[in-house]
Amino acid sequence: MNGVKLVRAGATIYFVLFLVFVTWPGFVPFNRPLPLVLGLPFNMAAIGLWVGLGAVVLFVLDRSEERNRERGPGRNSRNGGAA
Amino acid sequence: MERWQLIAGLILAYLAVTLGIGLMAGRRASRSVTGYVAGDRRFGLLVMYFVTGATVFSAFAFLGGPGWAYSRGAAAFYILSYGALGIAPWYFIGPRAAALGRRFGYVTQAQLLVGRFPSRFLSALMAALSVAAFVPYVTLQMQGAGIVIEAVTDGHVPLAVGAAIAYGIVALYVLTSGVAAVGWTNTFQGIFMVAIAWSLGIYLPIRLYGGVGEMFERILAERPEMLSVPGLTAAGDPWSWGGYSSAILVSAIGLMMWPHLFMKAFTARDDRTLRRTVVLFPTFQLFLIPVFLIGFAGVLLPESPPGADFILPFLILRSELPVLVVGLFCAGALSASMSTGDALLHAAASVTVEDGVGPFRRLSDAAQRRLMRILVLVVGVVAYWFALDEDSSLVVLLLSAYGIICQFAPPICAALFWRRATTPGIVAGLVAGSATAVFFFTTGYLGMELRPLDLHEGILGLMVHIPVLVGVSLATRPQDRDHTEAFLNPRASAETGASSGAAPASERIQRDTHGR
Repeated sequence: MNGVKLVRAGATIYFVLFLVFVTWPGFVPFNRPLPLVLGLPFNMAAIGLWVGLGAVVLFVLDRSEERNRERGPGRNSRNGGAA
Repeated sequence: MERWQLIAGLILAYLAVTLGIGLMAGRRASRSVTGYVAGDRRFGLLVMYFVTGATVFSAFAFLGGPGWAYSRGAAAFYILSYGALGIAPWYFIGPRAAALGRRFGYVTQAQLLVGRFPSRFLSALMAALSVAAFVPYVTLQMQGAGIVIEAVTDGHVPLAVGAAIAYGIVALYVLTSGVAAVGWTNTFQGIFMVAIAWSLGIYLPIRLYGGVGEMFERILAERPEMLSVPGLTAAGDPWSWGGYSSAILVSAIGLMMWPHLFMKAFTARDDRTLRRTVVLFPTFQLFLIPVFLIGFAGVLLPESPPGADFILPFLILRSELPVLVVGLFCAGALSASMSTGDALLHAAASVTVEDGVGPFRRLSDAAQRRLMRILVLVVGVVAYWFALDEDSSLVVLLLSAYGIICQFAPPICAALFWRRATTPGIVAGLVAGSATAVFFFTTGYLGMELRPLDLHEGILGLMVHIPVLVGVSLATRPQDRDHTEAFLNPRASAETGASSGAAPASERIQRDTHGR
């Protein structure tokens, strides 16, 4: 598995886990108000963290895809469908 | 001069600036249908980013978001959860749809579907479902604009007049400039909304409780049920996990299936811009945090506003802020309403003409543009008529609209990724899924609660839709390989087509879509 595919798989896994951990039953262990994080209830901050890290994951994915495209019109740049 | 008159003056100034930007943008766009609908496919990153953000964050987010946090507590967290989930797959789907749009000249979602699955019935069905979903959505935006103006002017400008003024301006710039106006005004309005939301979201808790943490500690002590997911229902009873989780799922699936958002793939200048918009989108999503803070700030107040959605204007007026701040807030909420409303009106008209009328009657470019303009007015007037009825349960209608909209996801995915999908399979799936969603919505609306586990009717629709799509597709004759290749592997098939003379597939698709 080359780097591009690895990043794609990672991004896909991240967003699958995101879905699992913000819905029932994955969210249940995080569903408490304390401790407050930056003044926000713990459960709200946890969702905010998933969203914020989601932006980071998409950014890393984008860098990797971009480098792959620059390397030439290889086969990997097509068949997307991850995430 | 009285306080409300000053505020009204500020709002008018803001509306004038919006109108000016909208009209100026139109002078740069070409006069073709592609220019009107797809903005000549040349939106840059800044515009795309705010177009998408401002379009997603409607009056529902700006007024409904605080309203939910205020009345339903942690139930509102579902709104924070779904956006990033919904847009992530777009990193790959968006550019693929855009490539097909450029290649075959598509400007709407249904054209893409009908290109792969030729059927005039499918086209008309997509148009009808889209418009049915759009009307309550536009109505909600209009009411939002009206609520804000009425509340802030102490009732001197009633909802009906406020909504008419705001949407008169929207109609004016959408009619003259098409999507170019939508792009530039949304950029302006998007920046404005973000600034207003963050400053109010931090300011109100500090002013009323001494800080964000202090506010939540007090809510936890007095109303602990507000801070535990899945929160409360509109009636104040505990909400179910099934309802909460399926609301996230249906919204994530439906988000980019709204025709006005999907069509953004066809307006992007290049794939680079589209991908970057997806990457930046979650940053826009975090703007819901201050929006929730505004709503939570109202939870412990002894007085309550006339309706939960009034909480934002209610707090603004109660905290006796300077006139300038109140005026700016009002403009921010209007931005939220108008920036979604304009895109909705524009998309509803484009979809009706391109997909509802186009396949059945050949129209000249000029006639199409004229018809679109008439339809912008018609949809606007119908929505306005509903907006005057303040008792209409629009949030209920809007949620049901999501149930229909998310039924577009399986056909779109099948068109782009599944070789074996066939036209009968797609049509059967869409009919079965939409009918299921409408059935559970209608029975629920009539008081019979038949939904298992409190699942959203859109999810129940998908549970019927997907097996029907797959089953009927497998039972019918597969599509021609040349034909499916053009959609599943657009670039590769374009290259081989050019070199080996195997172009007929793409030419045929072009003919199917445009040669009516």
